[in-house]
Amino acid sequence: MARGEIIAGFLAPHPPHLVYGENPPQNEPRSQGGWEQLRWAYERARAALDAMKPDVLLVHSPHWITSVGHHFLGVRQLSGKSVDPIFPNLFRYDFSLEVDVELAEACAEAGRKAGLVTKMMRNPNFRVDYGTITTLHMIRPQWDIPVVGISANNTPYYLNTKEGLAEMDTLGKATREAIAATGRRAVLLASNTLSHWHFHEEPAIPEDMSKEHPQTMAGYQWDMRMIELMRKGRMREVFKLLPQFIDEAFAEVKSGAFTWMHAAMQYPELSAELYGYGTVIGTGNAVMQWNLRDAGLSMLN
Amino acid sequence: MPVVSAFLVPGNPLPKLKPEVLGLGRLAAAMQRAGRALAASRPDAVLVYSTQWLAVLDQQWLTRRHSAGVHVDENWYEFGDLPYDIHVDSALAEGCVAASPGIGIHARGVDYDGFPIDSGTITAASLMEIGSEARPLVVGSNNLYHDAAITERLGALAAACADEQGKRVAIVGVGGLSGALFRTEIDLRADRIASTEDDRWNQRVLRLIESADVGELRRVIPEFSAEARADMGFKHFHWILGALKGRFVGARVHGYGPLYGSGGAVVEFTL
Repeated sequence: MARGEIIAGFLAPHPPHLVYGENPPQNEPRSQGGWEQLRWAYERARAALDAMKPDVLLVHSPHWITSVGHHFLGVRQLSGKSVDPIFPNLFRYDFSLEVDVELAEACAEAGRKAGLVTKMMRNPNFRVDYGTITTLHMIRPQWDIPVVGISANNTPYYLNTKEGLAEMDTLGKATREAIAATGRRAVLLASNTLSHWHFHEEPAIPEDMSKEHPQTMAGYQWDMRMIELMRKGRMREVFKLLPQFIDEAFAEVKSGAFTWMHAAMQYPELSAELYGYGTVIGTGNAVMQWNLRDAGLSMLN
Repeated sequence: MPVVSAFLVPGNPLPKLKPEVLGLGRLAAAMQRAGRALAASRPDAVLVYSTQWLAVLDQQWLTRRHSAGVHVDENWYEFGDLPYDIHVDSALAEGCVAASPGIGIHARGVDYDGFPIDSGTITAASLMEIGSEARPLVVGSNNLYHDAAITERLGALAAACADEQGKRVAIVGVGGLSGALFRTEIDLRADRIASTEDDRWNQRVLRLIESADVGELRRVIPEFSAEARADMGFKHFHWILGALKGRFVGARVHGYGPLYGSGGAVVEFTL
């Protein structure tokens, strides 16, 4: 068996507006565009991913919320129509995806051995959440790479940020172990927005970019501060500031994907490539990549 | 008065999915009894608020005349599917959308094929036999930024819209009592309320509802929410209270029990 490899990790946020703005055939609503800077950022991320030729994409989504443990998609083929419960006017997407069940099972088993509660989702009628689908569509619209979908256990909200993110750290390490054991060449996707203060009413034309702006100055400033540290590879500082960032910017990274991804990558002090930043109904979104292969850090074991 | 009956029921789908488990079966049977009482009150429509229909932008109202399909709960998928076939009084729902700005709330209708109707609404509709053509629903979302007072105004608004349209309505608040869930897998047959304190809180609140002590309920619900993690601040009760103009004379508890550690009760209000 080949040695496992974590090629890269992407911060890959999931506003359904980006799919809506792109007008892919899978999405029923039609738009006049919008959010171009973020969509162009994803175009560059797509090109980078294409060059990596991974075996599998692993995505941790805050919109599959589970209360008893960390869950993994465990059905080989899943398809259906995913309608966003918050933005049904923007996102009604026909999806069809292939799951790398073997790797998902290995992740679940490694997590269980590490002391986490883990579960495999085996119901073939399960409707995959829009966070998972949006991130996957934006990074790989061809849908030709198998995926591992991971739920966001609600511990950071139910207990507290510290305990919750400690669980995500364990989950990330277990994910790394599973990738090594199965010999996969993997790319990790943290489906998270940064600052998450948002509008409470939608503009009459959702894609009217004259209405788009950061919801708060403080949120924007926090985003810039964190992105700048990430661009410089000062990840220890990023993680030191993370709890404060979460509290003060209502940052969605609280849900765990960002910590999960960096734990799986062993928290490299590595400069991130920023593909682009933009707001969506006021929230801060950055598309970024940490390339472990280029840094010589990708091979496991 | 257009309101002919009112009920508070749990939204956790386990009673529907696993009725063969004694405690869950009892709750399911209690919901079925409540459904029969609701039917006996002969409403033209049923005004539902479910804590599990989460919204963050606007107040959403389900306006789609008919929705049918198979729903799978994101947590309890292993216990099976939740088929649904739900009819909506779309004229009344549209009335609620139109009236919402009048109380300062931006609202929108939801009329989309495949819209993910929440597990709570589906469970209540299925076990209580509501959402049929004979007893169509009006369903309002739980906007996470709305507090108890706003939710109460929304309940009042929905009842007032029904009155304007000359319709008799039943009120259903779908949600739990104490909200602490077990964090690890348990044998459902050994389910219990997560803590003695939570159980005490639930019993206390149920006694207050039975005695129709609205003043005391208003006083203790914030404490109940903080100490027992009451489901979404017990806003589903405020929906009912709003529709009832803050008045009822008593209540009958058809069932009370644990739902993976959280508390669930089936309550029929005496009007």
